[in-house]
Parts: sequence; structure tokens; C-alpha cells
Amino acid sequence: MPEPDFVTVTWNTNLTLTLCETCDSHYLLPSALFPFKCPTCFGAVLIEIEAEHQPNELRHHYAPEQVIPFTISHQELTAHIEQFAGRIWFAPGDLKPETLISRLQRLYLPMWLVDSGVEALWQAEVGFNYEIVSHHDQFDQNHGGWHSQQVTEQRIRWEPRLGRLNRIYHNMPAPALEQHAQIMQRLGQYDLTEAISFQTEALEQAVIHLPDRPPTDAWPDAIPAFHAAAAEECRQASRADHLRGYRWTSNYRDQHWTLLLLPVYATYYIDDEDRPQPILIHGRTGRLSGPKRASMKRARHTALIIVAMAAALFILSLILGGISFVAPPLVILAGISLLGALIIGMLAITPIIVVWQYNRNSSNREREE
Amino acid sequence: MVTDTFPPANFIPAPSAIEGIEVYQPAPTQPQAHREVVQFNCPQCGAGTAYSATDGGLTCTHCGFYEPPEHDIVGTQAERFEFTVETVQRAAQGWGEVRKELQCQSCAAYTTVSTDTLTHTCIFCGSNQVIQHAAPQDVLRPRFLIPFKIEADGCHDIARRWLGQSWMTPRSLRRAATIAHFTGIYLPFWTFETITKAHWQAEVGHTQTERYYENGEWRTRTKTVWKWESGRVNLPLKDLVIAGTNRVSPLLLAQVQTYHLDDLAPYEPKYLAGLQAQAYDVPLETAWEQARHQMREQTRQACRDQASSSKIRNFSMNMDFDQEGWRYILLPMYLTNYQFDNKRFQVMINGQTGTVTGQRPVDWTVVWLAVAALLAPGLTVGVIGFLTLLLGGLGFPIAILGFILLVIGLIISINLVTKAMRMDDA
Repeated sequence: MPEPDFVTVTWNTNLTLTLCETCDSHYLLPSALFPFKCPTCFGAVLIEIEAEHQPNELRHHYAPEQVIPFTISHQELTAHIEQFAGRIWFAPGDLKPETLISRLQRLYLPMWLVDSGVEALWQAEVGFNYEIVSHHDQFDQNHGGWHSQQVTEQRIRWEPRLGRLNRIYHNMPAPALEQHAQIMQRLGQYDLTEAISFQTEALEQAVIHLPDRPPTDAWPDAIPAFHAAAAEECRQASRADHLRGYRWTSNYRDQHWTLLLLPVYATYYIDDEDRPQPILIHGRTGRLSGPKRASMKRARHTALIIVAMAAALFILSLILGGISFVAPPLVILAGISLLGALIIGMLAITPIIVVWQYNRNSSNREREE
Repeated sequence: MVTDTFPPANFIPAPSAIEGIEVYQPAPTQPQAHREVVQFNCPQCGAGTAYSATDGGLTCTHCGFYEPPEHDIVGTQAERFEFTVETVQRAAQGWGEVRKELQCQSCAAYTTVSTDTLTHTCIFCGSNQVIQHAAPQDVLRPRFLIPFKIEADGCHDIARRWLGQSWMTPRSLRRAATIAHFTGIYLPFWTFETITKAHWQAEVGHTQTERYYENGEWRTRTKTVWKWESGRVNLPLKDLVIAGTNRVSPLLLAQVQTYHLDDLAPYEPKYLAGLQAQAYDVPLETAWEQARHQMREQTRQACRDQASSSKIRNFSMNMDFDQEGWRYILLPMYLTNYQFDNKRFQVMINGQTGTVTGQRPVDWTVVWLAVAALLAPGLTVGVIGFLTLLLGGLGFPIAILGFILLVIGLIISINLVTKAMRMDDA
């Protein structure tokens, strides 16, 4: 009996290791979805690869430990997509809400979770709440003079503390994708406290984006989380209400890396140049992120129609002008037609300018994000 | 960051709520060992030592041994405490220094005495009857005091000069008064400080002159125009001193309790060697209420001074106390009493500045003679004027003059009698 491959063993379900040759992203794909377009760039179909073809530093069998489940309902998703796609003048033909909805695909983005033992010498100032008794007085010449009211105010008493620490901290997060920060900025952050233990059922025909950032690169991003967790524990150990100025010299040992999966919907539309424009949707809040492009092709088409109308009016004005030699009152109509032709002709450029300005603003917004 | 030696020398282990995390905290200041009886003996000759106001330390009158205080003067930088809930509750209890406490059976006053005094004359009522009681434990202790600057020997001359100063006292008082020994005692006081933050509003009146036409001519009249004004006051109030005892006449105490707090020094038992000290019987909260009353009025006046005129009506204000602090201190005082005409009178001398006050008998005969002398001219001139008025027109101005002299004499007489009554009531 052939041994099950490492993916099946690690993920406890039948997944295929794939690669997008366009954007060089690795995915785990449910066998039922195969073949499948890359959910990041939608530029190519994913191809199956062997485990040995993974980057060396990512070849370790990293198991999923936690997942943040999808919670947004289909109705909410539809409403968000309609709001995204419904307000674009001269939208590309493919940018329709129903098209985007039909192409929705569940995708999980990875984050690293690292466990590590920590030994450290630490020092900080800890604060203890205490109350003082004060007074608030009022004087009214016409209503009995002075009235005094006792009040209590809370203050903090700061004291120095230091000590030694030898603890193990679990599941400190770190980005597993090079584009993690940009994605989070566009989609919004995830509340990591909502993560639950990984169950195979959570996958539900979702595609899993594998890390493109090895643990050695991600480790410096995990250290602040250890620092914060240790500071909080030192506060609790000191039985204090507050803590400030926490500093330590630390050593780490026995790191263990696993994965946290973040829920995202992916879809796309085809623009004027027949290029797929990917759209990502936050799997909890429904916030959309992706390029919004108006169609210059449609704008030109509309401009041509307007030019044609202007030309028709112009020809009419010529005809009326000719007839006006016989029927002089028609010269007024000819003038009106000519004026109309000129005005409409000038308006012909408007769709092109609108689309150009809209696309320019969209690009600037995306660059800022 | 943490040093090579861990933990640092002045840190001790503290309980940790989490396994795997050790916590160290600064070692608390070692409290001085408490002795039930504090005895000051000269290490050279073994005789008893006492605090000397002249030398500013412990001295032995036999061999001249001198021991200065351990700590320097801190003055108004002396540490203040906040009104924490716990402190307010603790301060309602007694005084914490372990000294021998005695109760007078006559006036029930508690005083503490140095441990080498077994009997003494009660400085409040002059009674020789004393019962020993144990001092209360676990209560507030004074942290600072102003050491005596005036020697007890000098008090007699100060008192005799003062006795002969007032013309209202009997002439024989100065030589006949038998002044008992002056007893130096540290009396308890509270000091308070805060910043009062007030917002006020009021109608402020300004006088305006206007012209109006009436009965064929222009006239002028003044009227008051009222306008609403408001403002904010931030008033820092520092080192307001409130007496911590009711055993001494508050009237007398108020006349001598002006101390220079720049001389405040950290509490040491040697300052009390050979002297007496009294625990507070006015709790912190009561003293703070008295201080707040004074602070309220000062703040109210500051608000009224901000108004653009002194004519104010419908005045109201809101006020908060910020950065409140207090101290419990001991201030030096000499108390004694003297006998005159079979009555006892009390004398107090400020142990730092030498200011003296006290009770003095009033020779009412002299006072009434003075009153008569003041009223006589007015009465005499008035009667003359009245008589000459009956005889002819010249009497009227003389009667007016007499009336003015009488009024002046009355004002001065009332002043004199009030002063004499105050002296008599002190």
C-alpha cells in the first residue's frame, strides 16, 4: 500500500500541491477543483508539482494549527459586491456583480504561528491603582452658600520591578507572505483572538495559499509578540494593574512553527486588454479590495456615437441651409441645428475624459493603499 | 538594564503570581528599632542628655558631650502625603510614636513625656495629678518637626516684658505674678496644600453717568449697569497650618502659630529628649475641613478680584481641589501658667520665633476710667453747647462739636472695651 504523501498526512485530507508559473505562488488545491486558475493573479492555470520542487527553506511539513473561519453570509457578500461594481460609469462589460459572484472562490492566506521557550532578565515599572479622597465644591450666593461633595479619584503608584523569566509562549503570529502587510492594509486586519483549532471541515473546498516567506525571515516579526506576551505576564506576576518601560535581554529555544489560515474570497473580472483583474474580499467583514477600472473602449464607443449624432445634425443644418434659399425662415432651424452639432460635438470627448480621470484616481488610490 | 550581579543589592524577592517568572522589588527602608522607653544617656559620662535649642542637638550639661541630628533640615521640601482612602481611615486613630503617655486626672489631657520623667505638672491646667497610660499603637507618626530655637531659660524674661506691656493690666502684675517653670512641648499640627481650580460667574455692576432733561433743564444722574462676567482661577495654596490639638486655647494658639517652615527637619527622637510632645486629637479629616474652609474663601476672593468691579451680585462658582497633600508635623511651644490674685493664667511662647501671647488679668477700673476720660470731653462740650443754645444762637456749633467729640470718644471706647473683653476672655 503506497504511503500517503506528506500533504495528506499533514492536512488530513486529499489536497494537491500546485504552483502558478505566472506569479510563482504555491497552493494546496482540493482535488475536486483541479484544474484551477491561480486565485492570486488569475493569469494561469495551476500545475501540480512534487514536494521536492518547493523552495528548500519551505519544504518542511508545516501543519495547520488554527483557522479563522468564514463568517460573512452570502447576502452580505452580494451586497458588498454590488456596491463595489455598481457605481462605475463605463464599467467593462465583464465587471458585473453577477459575474464576480459566479467566480467567487474561497481562499485561505497563511500566517506563521511559532512556539518558543524564552529565558530572559527583565525590568519595568509597574503601576498599582489606589484611590484618593477629594472634594468638589459649589458656591451660590442666592442658594445657601457653599455645598461640598466628596469624590474619589483613581491614581497610579509606580514602582520599579525586575526579575527572571523562563516561560514557553505559544502561537506568536508572524507574516508568512511577502505581501502580507499590503494585503492587510487593503483588506483590513483580522482579529486573531477569533481563531479556532484547525479542523479539516473548515477547508470546505477552499484553496490554501502556502507561505512564500520562510520561518527564518519571519522570526524577527514574531519577536515583538513574545515581548508583549512576556510584558503582560510580568505585570500579572507582579500583581500590578499597569506596566510601562518594559525591557529585557532574552534567549529563545525550541521554536516550533505551524500555520494560521485567514479567510479570503477571491474573484476577478476581465478588463479592456483582456487581462484578469483580481479582487480580494475579507472573509469576515466583506471589505473588498481590487482595481476598479472603467472601460476606455466603451468610452470611445460612446464618444463615436456622440460624434455621429453631431455629424447628423451638421448634415441636417447644411440641408436646411440649402433649402433656406427658397424658404428663408428655415435658416433659423439651420442655425439651431448647426449650434446643436457644435455643442454635441464638443461633448463627445467627455466620456473619454471621465474614464481617463476615473482610472487615474483609482490607480492613485491603489498606490496609496 | 539589569546589572552583572543579579539581583541588584537593594532588591529583595517579591511574591510572583506566575510560575516561571521571578519578581524582585526594592528593599523597604529599614524602620528604626522601636523601644518602649527611649533613654538618652551621655556615652562619655553616663549623665542624662537633653536637646539643646542653642546647640541644635543632644548635649550633656555635665561633660559637654554633643551629638548633632542625623538628618539635615529639609524645609518646605518635606515630603507630603496624599489623601488616600486608607490614610484618611488610619488618621482617625491616634498617634504612633511609642513614648510614655500620661493622662491628667484633672483635665483629662494626654501628653507624652520623655522616659526619664515619672511625674510632672500638667502644662494645660497646672494640676500635679497624673496617671500613666500606655500609648496607642499602629497609628500615624509625625515625620517632620521644627526644633526648638529658644531656650527655656530665656522665656522668663520674654514673659515678664510681655506682662508689663499693656496699660490695661494691673500695675503690680509684673512683679507679683508667680511664673512657673516653662515647659517645652511639641504640639501637633497639620499642613495642607492644594491647587484650587475654580470657574465663576456673576453680574458685575458699573456706574454710569447720564444726562436727562427735566423741568426745563438738563440734569445728570448716576445709575448702575449690570453685566454678566465669568472667569477661571487656578490658585496654588501651600503650607496652610492647622492646629492638631484642642487642648490649648485656639484663640491664643492663633496668635503665636506663625512658624517658618523652612526649618522643618526629619523627625528624630533626640529632638524630643527632655521635652514633651502631644499626639493629635484633631483628626486629619477635621483639620482638612477647616483648611478647606480657608481655601474656599481665599479662592472665592480671588474670583471676585477678577471681576472688573467690586459691585457683584448673583455670584456663583464651581471649585475643585487638585494635587492635595498633607503633612503631620510637630511644632515647638513653651507653655506655662502664672498665679495672680488667686487665679491662674496661661502663657504661650513660640519655641522658634519667641512670639509670646497668653492670658492677662484686666484692671477694669483703669479701663472704665479711660472710657470716662474719652467720653468726658464730648459730653462736656455738648452740655455747654446745649446750655448756650438755650441762651442764644452761638450754642449750635458748640453742640455740634460736642456731638462729634462724643462720637469719636464712643468709637475709641468701644474699641478699648472690646480689646479688654478679648483679653479677659482669652
